[in-house]
Amino acid sequence: MWDIILRGTINGAMFSLIAVGLNLQYGVTRILNIAHGEFLMLGAFITSVVFQFYGVNPLVSLAISGPMVFVIGVLIYGIVFRRLVRLSRSVEELEFKSLLACFGLLFIIQNVILIIIKFYPKLMYVGVRYLNETIIIMGERLELNRIVAAVMAVIISVLLYILLRSTRAGLAVRATAQEPTGAQIVGINIFKVHTVSFGLSVLLSALAGSLLSMIYPNLSPLTGPQYTFIALAVIVIGGMGSFIGSLLGGFLMGYVYYVSMKTDPLLAMPVVYAFLLIMLIIRPKGLFGR
Amino acid sequence: MLKGKMVNLTKILPIPLILIVLAFAPYFLRRYHLVILQDVLVWVTLSISWHFFSGHTKYISLGSVAFVGTGLYFTSVYLNLSMYKGYYPILPLPVVVLLAGLVNFALALVIGSVTLRLKGIYFAIATFGVGELVKGVIQFWQTKAGVYIIHLPKEFWDPQIVYFSLLITTLAVLLFTTFLRRSKFGLALRMIGECEEAAAHVGVNTSLFKTLGFAISAMCMGLIGGSYAIRFPSTRVDSAFIVNYSFLPPIMTMLGGVVTAYGPIIGATTLTLINEYLRVTFASYFPIIYGSILIIIVLFMPNGIMGVIEKVKSTKLFGRIKSAKGLKTPS
Repeated sequence: MWDIILRGTINGAMFSLIAVGLNLQYGVTRILNIAHGEFLMLGAFITSVVFQFYGVNPLVSLAISGPMVFVIGVLIYGIVFRRLVRLSRSVEELEFKSLLACFGLLFIIQNVILIIIKFYPKLMYVGVRYLNETIIIMGERLELNRIVAAVMAVIISVLLYILLRSTRAGLAVRATAQEPTGAQIVGINIFKVHTVSFGLSVLLSALAGSLLSMIYPNLSPLTGPQYTFIALAVIVIGGMGSFIGSLLGGFLMGYVYYVSMKTDPLLAMPVVYAFLLIMLIIRPKGLFGR
Repeated sequence: MLKGKMVNLTKILPIPLILIVLAFAPYFLRRYHLVILQDVLVWVTLSISWHFFSGHTKYISLGSVAFVGTGLYFTSVYLNLSMYKGYYPILPLPVVVLLAGLVNFALALVIGSVTLRLKGIYFAIATFGVGELVKGVIQFWQTKAGVYIIHLPKEFWDPQIVYFSLLITTLAVLLFTTFLRRSKFGLALRMIGECEEAAAHVGVNTSLFKTLGFAISAMCMGLIGGSYAIRFPSTRVDSAFIVNYSFLPPIMTMLGGVVTAYGPIIGATTLTLINEYLRVTFASYFPIIYGSILIIIVLFMPNGIMGVIEKVKSTKLFGRIKSAKGLKTPS
């Protein structure tokens, strides 16, 4: 029982961090980034590179992977999505087209990582071994790195929440998410807001990746899409555009995922999708959707 | 009047030529080229089937893998069980493929009646979830049953049989969807795509037509999946349910142009050939180039190849630029 609570919470903390990023991105820019998991892999990959070659502490590498991926995200937004937004006549068209563009992005990022790995077999997994001594909580053996990662994930999510709730920049982001035209009328540069939100959300994804690489030393660079889909399920369950929804939905998904994983590893992803579908049928707007 | 007839003639004339070339292709093509042609047929049919529902109603389905995979896997399992184990009566291949289509029809009726009440991005996510769910369930069930690889009887290991079964299925699907598109059924689907409320107001039973359209599209995917099954000497769940089956048909349709009926055909042919060329020429770098091409298409060809052709035509013939007006009524 305690293992479900503890390990489910750890899973949940990671899932909600990933989902919060994806939700921010979709809520503000209306781009459903199915390459979100690839940015996560990018973060994990950078962590793994600086750890293997320079021996940088994975927690310190959060400060490296985050900004790097932020810059990459801003560049991608400026090059690809800015034009796409200008070309699209309606939100539906933008959603559909950006889905296809993100599919291309997924191919590119995944294979860039794979090609680099080919030259350096040492980097075969994008995970690192760090803090893997176990401690016992409530009779359950837990690796220290998991606890550290989960705590970090919660801290980052809370920081983001504070940033969105109580700063002027956060206000601009929320205004843009709610009413893009209105936000423009009151003088918000929504292009800037979109770019920064896109960058910020891939930054969150990269941070989640760095933390995940600490948890799973054998993280395969091909698992990016899986995390994207979990995050997608989480934001649908929590309600698109709802921060609290993604946060709580992430934890809920964490428990569901852990229980199904414990029953049978093959069941984990089908249960995630079944959960998503049931939720879509019962309450398409999500638990906290408006 | 006369002009209209001449235009029709030039439009129809290439079709028998293409048919003759396709019918005799196995006799003058090398084996490698024949295999590529098989792939082209498969993707063309998938794009047509996808476009039949999603292109007209604008309900973007990302769950094609559920239907292609089910068709493919069902056919392999049936052929294997009936010919090796004798569990089921041995049926000729076309009947098995038709059965696969019917299984898909039923499956899609169930899935459609549940998911089609969602709209826009929610529908896309839901269908994607359904695709992965179907895969996951079958994989779970097969692993528990201890089945990992399904071998196909040797009778079918002949590229010509594969080719002709694919060609016949493609033509059948093409004729069937064209016929339906031009009937009232297609009109109803297009109306749903334009404005669902208005369609309901003039007396179209929207949920019935949506579900039926979804099921027919799924049936066509199942048929081509079933014919494609004999191409592989052995099938596994994860080789039958490849996520590309979900994502490539929309991309191909978009490359060709969503607006016209030729769009999916041209888009699928082009992208399959590009894909094959890149795979052979650049080996491991090909996904990167492929991904870049996808992004370039989305960015610079908003109306697809057909949009570009229209643009060139209108500038040359009439000396004025008719800007293609985005997603017009599909015809």
